[in-house]
Amino acid sequence: MICPHAKELIAASWTGELEAEQESKLKQHLAECEECSLEMTQLGAIWERLADIPAPEPSHALAVRWEATLESLKTPRPYRQNPWKFSLAALWPQRPVWQVTIAVACLALGTIVGGYGFREKGRDRSEIAALRDEVASTKEMVALSLLQQQSAGERLRGVDYTSRMRTMEPEVVSALIQAVNHDSNVNVRLAAIDALTKASANPQVRQSMVHSLGEQDSPMVQAALIDYLVDARDPQALGPIRQLAGRDDLNPAVRQRAATAMRQLTEYR
Amino acid sequence: MIGTRNVNQTEHELMVTVARGNLSAMSEIYERRHRNLFRFFFRLTGRQTAAEDLVHEVFLRMIRYRHTYQTGDSFEAWMYRIARNAFADQLKKHRLETPAEDRDFEVLDGGRPSAFDDMVKQQELALLHRALRELPEDKRELIVLSRFQGLSYEQIGQIVGAETGTVKVRVFRAMKEIGKIYNDLEKQPGPGKEKAS
Repeated sequence: MICPHAKELIAASWTGELEAEQESKLKQHLAECEECSLEMTQLGAIWERLADIPAPEPSHALAVRWEATLESLKTPRPYRQNPWKFSLAALWPQRPVWQVTIAVACLALGTIVGGYGFREKGRDRSEIAALRDEVASTKEMVALSLLQQQSAGERLRGVDYTSRMRTMEPEVVSALIQAVNHDSNVNVRLAAIDALTKASANPQVRQSMVHSLGEQDSPMVQAALIDYLVDARDPQALGPIRQLAGRDDLNPAVRQRAATAMRQLTEYR
Repeated sequence: MIGTRNVNQTEHELMVTVARGNLSAMSEIYERRHRNLFRFFFRLTGRQTAAEDLVHEVFLRMIRYRHTYQTGDSFEAWMYRIARNAFADQLKKHRLETPAEDRDFEVLDGGRPSAFDDMVKQQELALLHRALRELPEDKRELIVLSRFQGLSYEQIGQIVGAETGTVKVRVFRAMKEIGKIYNDLEKQPGPGKEKAS
């Protein structure tokens, strides 16, 4: 059994957090206590060797995925202006006396007509809006959860869910990019590319697709990505498509598709 | 890469900027921290994909919960608290979805041994890595934070919510346990474990 007071000192010695006084105290103790001394040597050696356990580097896909997510988060959501707001503002009188008169009249009218009925309607409207938001966020949660399932059929259902969404949240875009890059099933990858069409205006998403082109080995996925980039009219894709077309092992049909895509993208420039 | 790098600001200053709504500052935090966080998660999960998903999740949570960042906070402690929560959530989900036999670590490729000494060292490292992954999660986390992430016991205390002295004792106990597992593994007969005399 190691001496209780030595545990903290030994642990502090491993990280170099011992003060001079504590160091001499530990040295003195180790000279007197054989068990603690043995423990210090054995565990100290393991502590040293732990540093040699290697760890890989994160893949480039992680950075691409993060940049796409951050860019989506930074893009402001479309905001529809209410035309009434401005027309009503224009009608509002400039003179304070009229402003006060209108305000008092409105207050009186509001009280008389009965705020109760209006309150109920207002509450109903806000409840409906809240429910809509809740349904949208539940749909998103279901889609994200399905995309992580073991079964390819379930993941396909997840992609299908995302394609039915009016707007794509950054988490959904990110999950779809992840599916394009890493899903083991070709059909899921193809469906994810299709679903990302809605987000093709986002340059980071297009960049992810360009990057993915060089990583894919399935001819169908390669062709789908080429089509995606042509539809997005992204001139940045020209170089990577040219590089893909130059690969010896490329499927002839994909090579032909790449040649057509290069012509189209050159025209768009 | 998005925009130019802002190398002059501290992580704390950058995070305050993010908390005020300038999300662009997160790019620099990501540049500085993603490798570090990746290694943290890799050593905890033993899986590249899981570690990358967790890194992504942590940065998303940093943005989502940016309003919780206080100016008096240590950025490091705040980030690791988010990282621990993300890992705990992933662990819960993973345990529900994955059978125990599939939860193994990926084998690290340390390279082909070029000489006898290297081969022995590789074997020892493989055993040590196995011992680390057999350690309970809470103890493994302490070893990872103190040994691999290079955090002081005081910083770890801020992250896990414990006194510095308590952290030192827990790390000592975790090291004792890893030592015991390592010795037990060394005694076990198995392919590639015999050392030539």
